[in-house]
Formats: sequence, structure tokens, C-alpha cells
Amino acid sequence: MPPETVISTQGVSKHYREVRAVDGLDLDVRRGEIYGFLGRNGAGKTTTIRMLLGLVRPTSGRVTVLGRHVRPGDQGVLSRVGSLVETASAYPNLTVRENLDIQRRLTGSPREAIAEAVALLRLEEYADRRAGRLSLGNKQRLSLARALLHRPEVLVLDEPANALDPAGIVEIRGLLRRLATERGVTVFMSSHILAEVAHLADRIGIVHAGRLIEELELEALRAAARSHVEVTVSNPDRAVALLAEKMGISRVSRTAEGGLRVFEGLERIAEIARVLVGDGLELTRLCASEEDLEAHFMRLTGGA
Amino acid sequence: MLGQVLATELLKLRRSRITWISWLAFSVMPLAGGLFMWIAKEPGRAARLGLMGQKARIAGLTADWASYFALLNQEACVGGMVLLSIIAVYVFGREFADGTAKNMLSQPVGRHWFAVAKLVVVLAWFALLTVSLVGEGLLVGALLDLPGFSAPLAVSSIGDILFSGLVGFLLVPVVAWIATLGRGYLPPIGFTIFMLVLGNVFGATGWGKWFPWSIIPMLAGMAGPGVEVLAPGSLVVVGLTFAAGVAATIWQLRWADNTQ
Repeated sequence: MPPETVISTQGVSKHYREVRAVDGLDLDVRRGEIYGFLGRNGAGKTTTIRMLLGLVRPTSGRVTVLGRHVRPGDQGVLSRVGSLVETASAYPNLTVRENLDIQRRLTGSPREAIAEAVALLRLEEYADRRAGRLSLGNKQRLSLARALLHRPEVLVLDEPANALDPAGIVEIRGLLRRLATERGVTVFMSSHILAEVAHLADRIGIVHAGRLIEELELEALRAAARSHVEVTVSNPDRAVALLAEKMGISRVSRTAEGGLRVFEGLERIAEIARVLVGDGLELTRLCASEEDLEAHFMRLTGGA
Repeated sequence: MLGQVLATELLKLRRSRITWISWLAFSVMPLAGGLFMWIAKEPGRAARLGLMGQKARIAGLTADWASYFALLNQEACVGGMVLLSIIAVYVFGREFADGTAKNMLSQPVGRHWFAVAKLVVVLAWFALLTVSLVGEGLLVGALLDLPGFSAPLAVSSIGDILFSGLVGFLLVPVVAWIATLGRGYLPPIGFTIFMLVLGNVFGATGWGKWFPWSIIPMLAGMAGPGVEVLAPGSLVVVGLTFAAGVAATIWQLRWADNTQ
């Protein structure tokens, strides 16, 4: 049985006059998975998220969440969705607990939900502090606590790691992973930072100029990143000649630092070492390397 | 559902400075009226006050309860129009200024309930301020020992003040709509100032009885005995303005894109 689709967009577009913020977006997010929605600033991530939550009406196409057509003003499905849109925000004159109490009342959650959300985001120390006096990182935690308070089935998070320190990022990553595996929560998260998505997502959609340009499992993305062997040797010209002559390797490029990148025969790395050293060359560096995922992302989105 | 949303709207006011500022602003009015009455009651001392004394004589005030109530009504009406707008701007505009509108609009609650609950909060807030103003006015009048007090006069005058306040509230939804349309504080504040200026212009040109922002001051007797200078349809105009404002605010919250 194929996995249930929890979030679906079919040919969704959003135009602001001549600007195409989102252009014919087709997405399917399966139950229980963490979907990383990756794109550069202005790629259409936040507009997509707003359409998923009914905050913005698509110019064309259809958005479905948990089997229900999402439209502005039709709030029914939102009791099963937790969200964080763009920047963290809260009522500055209210404490963390009072801000969460607003969410509790509007979602009909029990009183205990506040303490649970506070504990989940480690906000105990700040629970009675006014939101206006929180650091940016703790404001982000408060927004995440608000999103999680009513135990939603689906989390739609726009840049959830914003403003968090490295330890906080790791902690939230662990929390989202636990929610997905233990509670079966489906997480749709946007980010412009590939490393963040690559550490967490099961599947990644890369959006650029409002269009989904690549969608793949994380492992497939890793495989898509081109591999090569980095070689630093005393005589690069001689090394290039030796590789061609003795191993039939011709796809070799030079780096700015005077090293070599070998793009074929990667499984014969030991033989490469033997050939070069056997000819009397001084080999100071030899390692298998992958194109940085970031570089792959930049190549796809035209940034490099 | 209204009860739940109303509870959250009331919670949002906790520790808001604007509640105290609005109370302070409104509580100055009976004191100012009392000062005028004192000047009118003591013309000799008023003369020693220079310009203030002269102004009080120009206004032709007599120091009695009827004049004091009339003054309170005018102050509550004009001051109330401004204060009501400021309260409405705060209650509706803060969601955009604080960046919480997107949270509010992605709740599993019909968005019209937020509009209704916020209007109820504005009404309740202003009602409390008006009751406070009346109480303070009675105290100030008693301290000044103004002549001419009678229970029927007090009931009738207090009724007029409350009625003016209620009619003034009917203009709030339009301000609320501008706050949601303009997503913040500045557009509705600008709109309110513009409407007050226009209200003066319409009032001066004789069309005031058809312009909502002129009708309220006229109702409070600022252009002579209130009801007589108004047309029978004047209150209908204010009622229609209220209905249009409510509909526009609900439409804006419910259907318009939120790109804040």
C-alpha cells in the first residue's frame, strides 16, 4: 500500500501582478516523513507555506492538507496542523505561558498542554518572562512551542532553525526527528540552508524561482553529488601524463592550489597511489571527495 | 466559540500600557470641565487667570449641573471619537505590528470571530471608560458644589453621554477595517485624523448631518441642540457605516491574502 499523502499541491501558482512567486508547484508529502523544502531567499518557500495554511489564496491550482482542500477562511483542518511562518512572533506584553495559553484556548487543548510544550522546548526558565524580553532564540522556541502545543499531526515550519544557536539547532533537529518517528508527525520544513535540511529531511524538494526543480531522497542527493579524488603531487604535469598512460584516466582537472582532481577511476584509488609513487613522484595528499552538497545546490539554483 | 476567542482577546490586554493611558486621557476630561465650571463660578478669580478666564467668559458658560453635563457630553463625544479610534487601532493593528496576525489567522477558529470579539473588547473597554468618566464627573461636580442638580437631569444627561458614546462606537469598525487593510497603526491613525478634519469641513458647509464623522459631534450638541440639527436619517447613516465596517473587516480577515 503506498504511503498516505498528507500534503499535496497540484499545479499551484501564486502571482503578485507580474511576479510569479510560485509557479505550477506539484508536491506530495507522505505521512510521517520529514520533507525539506529547500530554496534560496525569494524562491517561493514562504508563499508556499502561506498557501498550505490558507493565509494566501493560490492564483491557480489546488492545495490539500490531510485530505481537505485548503482555502482562506476555511479553518477546519488547522486544528491538526501546527505552524511557524517566517519570523517568530508573540504578544510582547504577555509571558511565555500566557502566549501559550492563547494557543491552548483557541485549539481547545487541555491545561497540561502548556507545561508539556514548555518542557518540550526547554522554556521552563523563561515561562513567566514576557515574550518582549526574550532573546531571538527563545522567541523562536516559543513559536515552536506554540506550533507543537496542540499535538498536531502535521507541522509546517518556515525556517525553524532561525535565530537558534548551534546547540539549539541540534536540539530542535532531535526533537523534530523524535516527533516524526515516535508520534508519526509529518514535518514540512523550509530552509535556505542545505546543511540544516540534509541533516534532518527524509526527502528534499529544491525550489527555485517558484518552481520545483528537483525532488529526491536524501541518499539520492548524496549520490547525485559528483565524486572525485583529490591529488597533491610534486609534479602535476607528470602525474597527469602517468594517469593517462598507465591507467587510461583522462578526466583530470587542476585546482587553483596546484593540486589535481580526478573524476574517473575512483574505485582504483590505491592503484592511483601506486602508479604515482612508483614513478618516483612525491605524493603528499590523496583522498576521495564528494562535491559539497551546498555546491550541488548552488549549481542547481544557478548560484555558482 | 465567541467566548473562547473573547477570553483570548481580553488576555492580550494584560499589562498593556494603552489601557492605563486611555483611562488617564479620559479622566482628564471631567477635570478640564470642572476647571471651566470653577472659572465660570468664580469670575473674579477667572480674570486673574488671564487668557483662560477670558476664554471661559467667551464660551458663555454658566456654572451649573446642566452646563457641566453638556460639557461632559461634548468632551466624551469628541474625545471619545479619538480615543475609540486609538483603542480600535491598538486592538486590531497590534496583530500586524507585533507580527501575530499570521498566527491568529492560522488558528482553527472562524476568522470572523476575531473581528467580532475584538469589537466587543473595544466596546467593553470604552463603556468602562465612559462609566469612569461619568463617575468622576459626578464627583467633580459635587466637589465644586454646582447648583441645579436633580435626579431627572442626571439620568437624562448620563443617558445622553452613554448614547453619544454608543453612537461613536458605531464608527469603530471602519477604523478596524483600515487597520487590517493597512496592517498596522499608521494607516488607521491617518484615516481617523483625516475623517475628523473632513467632519469639520462637512459640519461647516451644512452637510454634516449626512457625514458620520460630523454626526457624532452634532449629536453631542456642538452645533446647537443635537437632535434638532440632525436629519431623521443621520443615525441611519451611522448605522450603515457600522454595518459596512463590520462586513469589510470580516471580509478582510477572512478572504484577503495575509502576506505580512
